[in-house]
Amino acid sequence: MTGWTLDPFRMRQRSGWTPARVTVAQLIALAAPVAVSLVERGTPQIAVLLTAVVTCLIWELAFGLIRGRPLSLHTATVALIFAVLVPASIPVWQIVVAVSLGVVFGELVFGGRGYGIVSGAAAAAGFLVFFFTGTELASSSEIMALATLPGLVLLLAGGLVSWRILVSVTVVLIIAGLIQDGASSLPSVAITAVFGMVFLISDPVAGATTNPGRVVFGLLAGVLIVLFDTAAGPVVAPAAVVFASLLASLFAPLIDHMAVALIVRRRRARHG
Amino acid sequence: MTQVALLGADLPGLRPKLLCAQGDRVGRGLALFHDRANPEVVFVSPVSGVVDTITLGPRRSLSALVIRLEPDQHEPDPTSVATSPDEIRETLLAKGFWPAFLTRPYGRIPAPDAVPEAIFVNVTPDNPHAPDPRVVLRDQGDAFPAGLKAIAHLTSGTVHVCQTPGTDLAAGCGDRIRGSFFPESQASGLSGTHIHRLHPVDQNRSVWSIGYQDVAAIGKLIETGIHDFSRIAALAGPRARQPRLIRTIAGANLQELIREETLPGNHGSPLCVVSGSLTNGRQASWLGRYHQQITLLDDVAPQSRISKGGLMGLFRRTSSQPAPLIPTAALEWALAFGVPVVPFLRALSVGDAETASRLGCLEMVEEDVAAVSMACSSGADYGRMLRHVLDELAEDA
Repeated sequence: MTGWTLDPFRMRQRSGWTPARVTVAQLIALAAPVAVSLVERGTPQIAVLLTAVVTCLIWELAFGLIRGRPLSLHTATVALIFAVLVPASIPVWQIVVAVSLGVVFGELVFGGRGYGIVSGAAAAAGFLVFFFTGTELASSSEIMALATLPGLVLLLAGGLVSWRILVSVTVVLIIAGLIQDGASSLPSVAITAVFGMVFLISDPVAGATTNPGRVVFGLLAGVLIVLFDTAAGPVVAPAAVVFASLLASLFAPLIDHMAVALIVRRRRARHG
Repeated sequence: MTQVALLGADLPGLRPKLLCAQGDRVGRGLALFHDRANPEVVFVSPVSGVVDTITLGPRRSLSALVIRLEPDQHEPDPTSVATSPDEIRETLLAKGFWPAFLTRPYGRIPAPDAVPEAIFVNVTPDNPHAPDPRVVLRDQGDAFPAGLKAIAHLTSGTVHVCQTPGTDLAAGCGDRIRGSFFPESQASGLSGTHIHRLHPVDQNRSVWSIGYQDVAAIGKLIETGIHDFSRIAALAGPRARQPRLIRTIAGANLQELIREETLPGNHGSPLCVVSGSLTNGRQASWLGRYHQQITLLDDVAPQSRISKGGLMGLFRRTSSQPAPLIPTAALEWALAFGVPVVPFLRALSVGDAETASRLGCLEMVEEDVAAVSMACSSGADYGRMLRHVLDELAEDA
């Protein structure tokens, strides 16, 4: 539909989120993890970061020009998340290929941020692991996990991640950890999973959008992390979070559909 | 004031049959046109004067009917006082007070023979900066209770008098007239919220809503036979010289009303006159039938509009299409109907009437989704989308 936007005067008074403001909030939330990754991995990480950002922005600009849509620059956040996820030893051309595929097929072909069905960063990381066999994603450190927390608080306060998803993923991981190896493994699970939980699984456009659906989505993502991880080995592999996020996103519309059916039935019962 | 207008924007879906022509002399309370579908529903002139212009919109709807005031020497005779339920109904229909009611679902003027399950009187300031009903009703005397008793004859159910906490304005009006109190919170001033809490509606259950100023006017009509179309409106906004309540008439020409009331803008920016509130109003030259506030804002100066060309223009251009909907928690807070917000907004934005109705759009009218439009990242006008869907559902019903 065209011509369905707000009157200009109301558009200006709008104080809520705009796509550009969402991008800015996510960039601020990502600042600390990116800084930590730069400190930990040194100069090669700068090359990874620059390559990813430039590739993403070129694609977004190209699609913006072709489609005649205003830019939200959201792909910059895709690039930053990707740069944190991958190790600095990856060749530049592999980064270009993986980021291009991820950002184009995860996001831009659908019309950009908010129209796609998976998180662009998860798609890029997934493509990297799939295409270049033997590639391992970067493992997370305690400092990286801690650096994620301020961003998490910011995104929670802004309503850009859902606590329902985070809580249900966490519950599944804790239960699985306790069953498998007792309480001792929980800290390492938390360290590995927290970045992906905040920036991939909780991506608002890739997850379920109803409140009951978010709980189920979180549970599903948690179970998938455990499943992929058990297949991979003893420690939680970073790739498990990425693939859990991708697969859970594909189920999000189904989960939402069922949640809506449930809500509609409850409404019918209330209205008699 | 020299001009008032009856506006098609207030009467969605109405096709008028005109009973007057351009240049005709009309008296206060005299019929100007009636609803083509329901000839009993009459729209009257709120003032005496001369019909200045009549503009029709698409599909033979009314765009605006402007009346130039020419004060009549003799006031219209007070009509006889109505007492029985049928007389009251006839009086309200014939004297042009029927359009004060709006049905829920659909937000339309009710059919002349319809009997609602309940009537909701909205006695709350429906928006920030709207007039305080307790102040407005203070000098109305007994007109408001009389109006409540009169409209109670139109329904077999309850008349819910929804008000802010305080003394019960509906006390002692009979047991079918019940006061309900809504502490001030988001959306507590909207009839949609009141109805959702007290008497949820769907295709088969219909209630009416009405504003308190109309109830007081009905009380005056029934008690004394005098037509009073005056309206107390709040003048507010950053460009208002002296924010205050003013007594005017629904449909008054806003340019005349605010001529002495505006502050100069920063950097000479032009004035934006909004009938209604910031979230829910419309930029207009006339005060809307259901509006009780006038908001004066800064408009963007034409010279500061950004050029659309070049690479930098791509970053700054505003799209004519809505931007993507990003499901933030703010959306959940902005819509208080217990509906799954994001699926609901998606249904509205693709015009999926069936899904929207399943999810509860029949409980809402435009004003209820205004807060969501302001909170959503898309910048879409969900009010307009909702009206589109409601019109489609009303045609099927």
